[in-house]
Amino acid sequence: MHTRIRGAIPLLLLALVSTACGAADATGDVTREGSSIDPGDWEDVLAAADGTTLDLYMWGGSAEINRFVDEVYGPRLSGFGITLNRVPLADTADAVNAVLAELEAGRTSGGAVDLIWINGENFATMRQADALLSGWAEQLPNAALVDWTDPAIAFDAGRPVDGAESPWGSAQFQFVYDTARTDPTQLPRSYAELADWIVDNPGRFTYPAPPAFHGTRFVKQWFYELAGGPDPWVDGFDEDAYVQAAAPLWDLLDDLRPHLWRGGETYPNDIADLDRLFANGEVDLTFTQLPAGIGANVDAGTLPPTARPFVFDTGAIADHHYLAIPVNAGDPAAAMVFADLVLEPELQAAKLDPANGWGDGLAIAIDRLDDGQATTLDTIVRGLGDTAVDQDRLAEVRLPDSLGEHTQALEHDWNRFIRQRRPRS
Amino acid sequence: MTAIDSRPTSSPAEVQGVGSGRRGSVRSVVVGTMLTLLLLPFVPLVLASLADGYFYPQVVPERWSTRAWAIVLDPDGRTWAALRDTVGIAVVVMIVSLVVAVPAGRVLGTRRFRGKRVIELLLLSPVLVPTIAVALGIHVVFLRLGLAGGVAGVVLVHLIPATPYVVLLSAGVFANAELELEAQARALGASWWQARRHVTLRLIAPGLAVAALFGFLISWGQYVLTLVIGGGRVVTLPILLFATASGGDAAVTAATALFHGLPAIVLLVATTRVLGGAGLATFGGAR
Repeated sequence: MHTRIRGAIPLLLLALVSTACGAADATGDVTREGSSIDPGDWEDVLAAADGTTLDLYMWGGSAEINRFVDEVYGPRLSGFGITLNRVPLADTADAVNAVLAELEAGRTSGGAVDLIWINGENFATMRQADALLSGWAEQLPNAALVDWTDPAIAFDAGRPVDGAESPWGSAQFQFVYDTARTDPTQLPRSYAELADWIVDNPGRFTYPAPPAFHGTRFVKQWFYELAGGPDPWVDGFDEDAYVQAAAPLWDLLDDLRPHLWRGGETYPNDIADLDRLFANGEVDLTFTQLPAGIGANVDAGTLPPTARPFVFDTGAIADHHYLAIPVNAGDPAAAMVFADLVLEPELQAAKLDPANGWGDGLAIAIDRLDDGQATTLDTIVRGLGDTAVDQDRLAEVRLPDSLGEHTQALEHDWNRFIRQRRPRS
Repeated sequence: MTAIDSRPTSSPAEVQGVGSGRRGSVRSVVVGTMLTLLLLPFVPLVLASLADGYFYPQVVPERWSTRAWAIVLDPDGRTWAALRDTVGIAVVVMIVSLVVAVPAGRVLGTRRFRGKRVIELLLLSPVLVPTIAVALGIHVVFLRLGLAGGVAGVVLVHLIPATPYVVLLSAGVFANAELELEAQARALGASWWQARRHVTLRLIAPGLAVAALFGFLISWGQYVLTLVIGGGRVVTLPILLFATASGGDAAVTAATALFHGLPAIVLLVATTRVLGGAGLATFGGAR
């Protein structure tokens, strides 16, 4: 009977080994030359990209954005002989971790991830780990359409981009209310007014818990309003100054906690959760980051048709989102072709138009386009209608993002002072 | 006057029929209740997947739309490739775990030997240890071996949770099978192979089918292991589902969830029907 047992174990091993051999064969063709691609020689890049598969790792939570990527960019990439493999992620940090794990395991070339849709902290993490190719973004042919002198593009959350990521689009923080429930004249137009509004409308407001992107943004803008605007917080990090300036914010958020949705006992995880609460009438405000408005959300049914975006008079943080190539990317040439492609004026225009499912802001400068291209963009902007804030208004209230250290400090302190601290006695 | 009394006088054959009918009706009530409890949670999903903006306080959507299904069932979309990969991986996991489980289950189910408890405990350990803890360590090893980011690595890692279940179920099947019939067949002149094929296999087939189904479904539902080892490159239905759910489009999420859930339910119901309870009856403790 012992022999029987011994008989079973080799069988198990055999099964494992035989599958393992199959695996080695399957991954054999993935490993290819390192990332010595020079974006200055574009013909060379196109030649290297021909016949490859681009593994694009991006947050996959929006069916409309997914469709846009597959159906608008996909066929254009085929024209270059590139197959698009869009890898849908529940969280961009998954891609960051995948790359860092590969590097840790000594896989310095032929990595799984060719391109990541990224910004802010994930970018900072990868830069700190020296995990991104740099110096390529400003050499793309279409980089001429990007205003690299604009600090909003050249700095990502206060960190120099250094050509390690190429802009894809832009975003700006806006609030969303429902005309069917809320009289627009009653809306708060600053954080000071919002504080009163929350007290007057108990249980009708909440925000995603930082470090969820929209939650951090919401808290940071409040910090700006209480701490003398963005200017002191965009450059250096002075911990004492920050701690002193942030104290009134934590006091205020603590005081307001009982008036929040569910008494501030819990917060939505992310913007999708907050949109759901808003759409189901549990809260009266939600947020959006789309400069061209919420038309796509209304079309998709995630926001009611009567929802409208608006901004505070005291400002709205604007920033960009980017594409970055890991140092060990298997197909860096294909990644560069994609990063260049998305900057094509006609594709930037298509992305701006909510009718195509997105409504994302531009990454290129309008004054660098020819007249025909500029007119196309103008037509789209004019046609945005009620589901978007007037573009001039957005430009008026535009605020820069803070240095990444302030973002991290705010997230850390929010967690300590607001989420973890029990109600004051 | 009761319903029974109102029946016309029955012939013996009919009485028997009524009797089995009553047993049958009890059974169908039980089965019906179980199926209802199983399928009821899917009703809101079906509604949500067909709704165009499904918000409180609507009980039933006010506006309907096939938008979500058009996205999910789009021939050029990701769902079909994900379905193919999910089925492929699950079938291989099922077969490999069965190959391991049949001999292992026979020994564990029918023999008593030193260290059997230890082996059973070891078998259960992948079920007891949290998957994510194991997965991260395995990922590093697989990266070095070149197994990460591929279907083969995902199959291997799915075997970790699947094999113990299939082995233990298989042990239960063997424990309750009348394996003495094997010896009887041999005594009546059957060859070793004939006895295995015509007697043993017949005895264990229904139970093994259920064990195989378990192996299939465990692989079918894996998210964390697939995500970590597949590195996002192996896109199975759970990977698609989680990515979709993170976005908050309830209609598309519901349609994707149904697309992921329905084949499993269909398979389960079909197997239950084919086995007619015989398979489930073969389970029990080891003798």
